[in-house]
Amino acid sequence: MASCNRAFLTIAATAGVLSFAGVAAAQDVLTVAGFGGNLQTDLRKTIWQPAADAAGVELREETHDGLAAVRVQVQSGSPTWDVVHLGADECAVGGKEGLFEPLDYGTISTKGFDARGYGEHWIATNTYSVVLAWRTDVYKDKAPASWQDFWNVEAFPGRRALSTYPQEMMEIALIADGVDKDSLYPLDTERALAALEKIKANVGVWWSSGAQSAQLLKDGEVDMMAIWGSRVASVITDGAPVKFTYQDAILGYGCLAILKGAPHAASAQKFIAGVVSPDVQARIPEMMPYYGPTNSLAFEVKAFSPEVLAQSNMSPENVKKQTFLDANWWRDNNELVREDYSLLMSN
Amino acid sequence: MTLAMDGAPGMPLNRAMLKSARRRERRIFSGLALPALVLVACILLIPFAWLAWLSLFDAAGNLSAQNYARLLRPAYVGSFLTTFKVAGLVTALCVVFGYPVAYLLSQLSARAAQILLVFVILPFWTSVLVRTYAWLVLLQRNGVINDWLLSMGVIDEPLALVHNLTGTIIGMVHVMLPFLILPLYASMKAIDPVLLRAAANCGASPSQAFRQVFLPLSMPGLASGIALTFVLCLGFYLTPALLGGGRVAMWSTQIADAVSKFSNWGAASALSVALLVVTAVVLWGVRRLTDALSFSAGKP
Amino acid sequence: MRSGRVNLREVHKAYGSFRALDGVSLDIKAGEFLTLLGPSGSGKTTLLNVIAGFERPDLGSLLVDDVEFITRPPHKRDLGMVFQNYALFPHMDVFSNVAYPLKLRKVDRPSIRRRVMDALEIVHMQHLADRRITALSGGQRQRVALARAFVFEPRLLLMDEPLSALDKNLREHMQIELKRLHRQLGMTTIYVTHDQQEALTMSDRIAVLDKGRIIQLDVPATVYDRPNCKFVAGFMGETRFLPVERRDQTYVLDGRPLRLADTRAASSTGEAWLMVRPERLRWQGDADRDNRIEGRVLDVVYRGDCNQVSVSLPGGHEVAIRHSGAERQPLPQPGDTLALWLPAEASLVIGSAAP
Repeated sequence: MASCNRAFLTIAATAGVLSFAGVAAAQDVLTVAGFGGNLQTDLRKTIWQPAADAAGVELREETHDGLAAVRVQVQSGSPTWDVVHLGADECAVGGKEGLFEPLDYGTISTKGFDARGYGEHWIATNTYSVVLAWRTDVYKDKAPASWQDFWNVEAFPGRRALSTYPQEMMEIALIADGVDKDSLYPLDTERALAALEKIKANVGVWWSSGAQSAQLLKDGEVDMMAIWGSRVASVITDGAPVKFTYQDAILGYGCLAILKGAPHAASAQKFIAGVVSPDVQARIPEMMPYYGPTNSLAFEVKAFSPEVLAQSNMSPENVKKQTFLDANWWRDNNELVREDYSLLMSN
Repeated sequence: MTLAMDGAPGMPLNRAMLKSARRRERRIFSGLALPALVLVACILLIPFAWLAWLSLFDAAGNLSAQNYARLLRPAYVGSFLTTFKVAGLVTALCVVFGYPVAYLLSQLSARAAQILLVFVILPFWTSVLVRTYAWLVLLQRNGVINDWLLSMGVIDEPLALVHNLTGTIIGMVHVMLPFLILPLYASMKAIDPVLLRAAANCGASPSQAFRQVFLPLSMPGLASGIALTFVLCLGFYLTPALLGGGRVAMWSTQIADAVSKFSNWGAASALSVALLVVTAVVLWGVRRLTDALSFSAGKP
Repeated sequence: MRSGRVNLREVHKAYGSFRALDGVSLDIKAGEFLTLLGPSGSGKTTLLNVIAGFERPDLGSLLVDDVEFITRPPHKRDLGMVFQNYALFPHMDVFSNVAYPLKLRKVDRPSIRRRVMDALEIVHMQHLADRRITALSGGQRQRVALARAFVFEPRLLLMDEPLSALDKNLREHMQIELKRLHRQLGMTTIYVTHDQQEALTMSDRIAVLDKGRIIQLDVPATVYDRPNCKFVAGFMGETRFLPVERRDQTYVLDGRPLRLADTRAASSTGEAWLMVRPERLRWQGDADRDNRIEGRVLDVVYRGDCNQVSVSLPGGHEVAIRHSGAERQPLPQPGDTLALWLPAEASLVIGSAAP
């Protein structure tokens, strides 16, 4: 009897240990890698953490410097990351190269998404706008209102700035040249380059980083430019006499994808479903102003103040003025366009 | 042998012992060089071999010359020419500004030279990024220099000093000057001042002595300064990116883009290999040229 | 060839508190071979540099053929110079080095070719005209430097310790060659050296310098045999000094009055010494005519051409004598007592300063 008791206790104790271990195992640790910096901090607070909590996984963060790092992870055969946050065209390229698991659209709902906002292997989680911004001390009476005005150097003299990377700039050029913003793709690259050729002489600076673009506008080094909405917002907050418009702005987006062979692929699908859900997306307009949700249903989850709606690039009012970038087109054409574009800049 | 020998005729005369002592010394000397050799192999030869290997494959991993064929496209040819133009201009300006400074340094007393040398080396103590931004503050449209010139009434319109080739060259010359001055100064210090007295004694005026004796003798130092400056310029990334306003498409920018924007290691490798090969050829050419110059300069 | 006359008057040059030249006056005759001899720091090189124009004195006059040169820049002085380490231009070959002064004087090419080859022939270097300087030996460089210095027929040839970097045999050979060359070309030569043997071999006259002053200026034999003070005597040869006492009109060594050839160099006051050189001492002598010096043999050193015998005298003094083997006297052993003889004509009493 005594021995039986002892045996029972042993079994019970063992079971206790086992069940405790089982609970711990159920709480997957999901590793998400992003570009780091303030953006990643904001993304975690606003959309990643709530989604992780909802999926019942613990969130661990890593940083990377682009698709090359992702490629190294996957090619190693046993990636330590589960999910990566990338630019849309990189997601598209990675998907084509087979670096990602297909997304389970049974688990992930695309209701409320623009058709360009997701692919077989990736889905957009946040948007940004490339907008037209200008110095109000230079354009006091009549402000530029569209890319046509940006190209109109007689009516709006002054130095301009565009990005050194052709993405969004090619779209802007076509809109200025009279192409309807909803029928841009496939891009007529020759026409876009011809349009850029016309404005080139008035482009004082081709900017290559977000920080640089903000500084140019703040210092008055240029009078109007194409710039990220988030950057121009900080310039305005700093008190510079600057305004911008969402009219004809290009909507780009960041996206999530699951690495091929990711250790916690199933949890990752649940996590991504949470990130793009209207409830989580609805946190973006207030917590990350000047960035936007990718799911338009986010604006139906609750009532937002007029200020928030005016700021958010994806509010129903603002999104109508803009057009979505086609990540798949850029995936296939980036390198060639880049060559022509850099030739145009340097000649 | 007429020497008196005390030893037996068959004495080995310590042949084996001496030989092994020689071998031991050789081993110690090559042992001393070993860490450096390993380091060179690790940080130079192996990565380069890897780069060269990578450049032979296309994105899909098949053996192909595609990465090199790409280099013939106008964007890359243009960028290649820009790179060499910028490097050449910067090097030439560094020679123009650096030679007199190095000459002054070499003629000063040791104490004065040391103080002045600190000012030459001072820029090394601040980051290139900080210096480049400082130039931006000075040179931009509403920058210090334009404000000053405008308020003095020298100009009516701000000068385009930055976000173009001019700004890039100014910034790069500033960064590169010490690299030209230091080897040049070292070689000038090595010129025996008595040679200039000898030239004067032969009847050479100070300017003739400088041109016919000092200048040719400073050529090796100038050549190494030029080579160092030129090669460093070829790989410049930060300063052209920040001060060039996107117009100065350096080869290094193309390499960086190939890696970070397109994640195309094959393309980046081919770009690197091409740059390396051309650089080696240029260096060899510069060396041949200055060798010829420094010897023929003295011929009547 | 033109010959130059040089007249230096009261040349002063100070570096801070150090007086490199302290009022040097010197007249050099046209065609003369004059040597400036002195220890390092005596001012001999500074004086040469003043003449060449590399140093500007604080005060003084330098006339070359009656023309004031004192502020004339070196390249307008038309003086040839051979530098201590030759100062050949390493980026030029032998021919170009020698041609350089002619090229600067705008001599036409055929004449340059002829004169350079003539000069190289004189120094036996014509077969090496195409060599690079770095491919020459020390002696060869010396000859090229010499050819470069005289190829343009300067009125004055200056040489700053030109042989000091050569080994002993080559140095002695070059001394004779330089002397011959001077006879052949006949140009005024000012030669700086710290080597008394070299000065004695080559010079018409020697100026001995110390502390920025010329101590004695005379023909070699006089400077050697009749030095005018202890410094000059000590600088020439292996001179030993024995203190002597003044008694009335004569001098006394070890209680014996000395028989002297010359007492002019001894001032009437202050200390006085008998100058004793090994080659002037004799193994045999005459007690009536010569001075007797007694001592104990300290050691005997074999020197090839002779044995040098050191002899210790009372009062801790020491003299030396050579034993060549030709003497009737056998070679003494250490510890032997010796009596040596100094002939009256070789006996000189000198003071610490020139009278």
